[in-house]
Amino acid sequence: MTSTKNMVLTLLIVAIVCSVVLSFVYSYTEPRIAETQAQLTLGGIKQVINAQEFVEIIPDTLWKAVDSSGILTGIVFRVFPQGYGGPIPITVGLDLNGKITGVRIASAAEGLKETPGLGVKITEPEFKDQFIDKCAPEAQLKNDGGEIDAITAATISSRAVCNGIKKGIETYLNYLETPIDKRCVFSDAREFVEIIKDTLWYALKDADTIGIVFVGFTQGYLDCREFMVGVGTDAKISGVKILYSSETEGIGEAIREKEFLDKFKKGSAEAITGATVSSQVLIDAIEEYITRYKEYLK
Amino acid sequence: MKNPALIFLGAFLINNIVLMRFLGLCPFFGVSTAVETATGMGMAVIFVMTLASWITWIVFNVVLLPLNLVFLRTAVFILTIASLVQLVEMFLKKYYRTLYNAMGIYLPLITTNCAILGITFLNIDNKFNFLNATVFAIGTGIGFMVVMITFAAIRERLDLAPINPSLKGYPISFIAAGLMALAFLGFSGLFGLM
Amino acid sequence: MKRRNLFTRGLVKENAVLVLMIGLCPALAVSGTVRDAFGMGIAATFVLLFSNVMISIMRKKIPNEVRIPVFILIISTFVTIIDYVMQAFQPDLYRALGIFVPLIVVNCMILGRAEAFAYKNSVIDSILDGLGVGLGFTLALTVMGAIREILGNGTFLGMAILGEGFKESPVIFMILPPGAFLVIGVLKALINKYVKKETQ
Repeated sequence: MTSTKNMVLTLLIVAIVCSVVLSFVYSYTEPRIAETQAQLTLGGIKQVINAQEFVEIIPDTLWKAVDSSGILTGIVFRVFPQGYGGPIPITVGLDLNGKITGVRIASAAEGLKETPGLGVKITEPEFKDQFIDKCAPEAQLKNDGGEIDAITAATISSRAVCNGIKKGIETYLNYLETPIDKRCVFSDAREFVEIIKDTLWYALKDADTIGIVFVGFTQGYLDCREFMVGVGTDAKISGVKILYSSETEGIGEAIREKEFLDKFKKGSAEAITGATVSSQVLIDAIEEYITRYKEYLK
Repeated sequence: MKNPALIFLGAFLINNIVLMRFLGLCPFFGVSTAVETATGMGMAVIFVMTLASWITWIVFNVVLLPLNLVFLRTAVFILTIASLVQLVEMFLKKYYRTLYNAMGIYLPLITTNCAILGITFLNIDNKFNFLNATVFAIGTGIGFMVVMITFAAIRERLDLAPINPSLKGYPISFIAAGLMALAFLGFSGLFGLM
Repeated sequence: MKRRNLFTRGLVKENAVLVLMIGLCPALAVSGTVRDAFGMGIAATFVLLFSNVMISIMRKKIPNEVRIPVFILIISTFVTIIDYVMQAFQPDLYRALGIFVPLIVVNCMILGRAEAFAYKNSVIDSILDGLGVGLGFTLALTVMGAIREILGNGTFLGMAILGEGFKESPVIFMILPPGAFLVIGVLKALINKYVKKETQ
């Protein structure tokens, strides 16, 4: 009968050695795993649009495609509409005219759960390439008023893809517009100087810095919101504009209302109370960003 | 699919743990010889699955994730589950004898079982919150029990039927399970229709 | 027991999946294609082999009362190693095998061999035993994978071997869950009929 001390000691030593070994293995393989994953995502995106570089806007969901001089040439987004057997991962490329440049659907090996032999045919070029050069209204089944031929005996999968793509285009179409005019959140400024690419600018009037404008976003449990805020050197908010919101229609729309956004103009973020959870989340996020960029206000 | 009702339905029918996900096969074939034992085993599974889901969810989200020790997940989960079941068994034996008699003897069989460990992994991979993880665990457990009781009923009949000797025992059971799996495949389009 | 028998025992006579009926979950779940089946078999063999070796090396130092937790710690360490190594170097296989990679830790054959053999025997013997059982497991899985892939997809390791016509409409049933049950049931029936057991 071994002593308790011996038992505990053995267990402890084994546990410690195992943990140490594992942390080594982890630190050695983790960078490689992350890189492979990034390559994979990039590979997927490249298949749907011709572009030099991609800027991730919403993590794993939305990218801007830019050419070598940084000019927007299109966007790429991912949607996961509910198909016959589960969510269908679709990557779509959109050019500046809102026309689809390419569609990529994850294969069964990557997790597609549609019926083998029938639903999985959506991954084949015969089906998915039909979407190229079409815009949202045309990207529907012929039976639903569009121009896409469904796969025989796989209507549910085909329809799911169409609806997913259509909804994706509607959701992300805004991002194709030329960069939002920053004066709508900071009307007094005449010029803007970029400090952090696509994220932070100095607002200038007559060569004097009168404030900053920044773009931020909240990533909650269910939603994602991108907003632009202008703040004067007196730390008072000059304007707030919602650039994008993934809130379910109706529920979160209130925060886009002019009345709510105008409340910000009257003072600092602390003074505003949120009427709903989503508006409070937005207020908290704006506060946080202001604190983060405070140093630029001096 | 963050709706608890959908998660429950999914766990119970559409992605049934035994017939679609292939987890928990060893106890499934081992203990389903009679309806009574199947019921006891089923209850034990629901019980352990829910408790294990709770504990591992807490351990993962409160300890492993913040401390960046995610790579210890496999080891930590299995040891947690094994200890948990051991403790529960001792506790039941001492304080809740009737409950212990009903299902306690099955507890050791499901400790190092791929069904329990598998569900705890899935809770994390699906990024469920606590409520959804609970619903998922209970739904899966009920799915397991229902399928097992049905299968036990079938096996009781098979025992009395005249079957070719090479098919007797495991082979015919597998084929019967295959037929059940075929039936359950019919549920797979349920999501698309909802 | 002769060294050679140690190895062949796990391979055929006491084949984990087809004779002892353990390790069924991965056997049915990942045997849809030859690549997945073989990959899982090799991964499990790796864990079995290294766990056996480690436990055999340490067998005099592990107190009897805490041996199971120690086995579990050692096995799960090797499982985690292969988990991350596969993720890094074979991401396609990893994605196909899914949660069954970490679930290798509860594969009864690994804990079973640790308890029944590695804890009580020399390192060399444990290596032979581990290799035998592991390769037997791999063999069973690969056979199932071959049957299911050829009939269910018309391919072997992705290459069409029954003609393009068959590939258009194969017996899809075979790569779906019911097919797995059917294949192992029939295999087991054949083994019952044609392989005489030594002890009956």
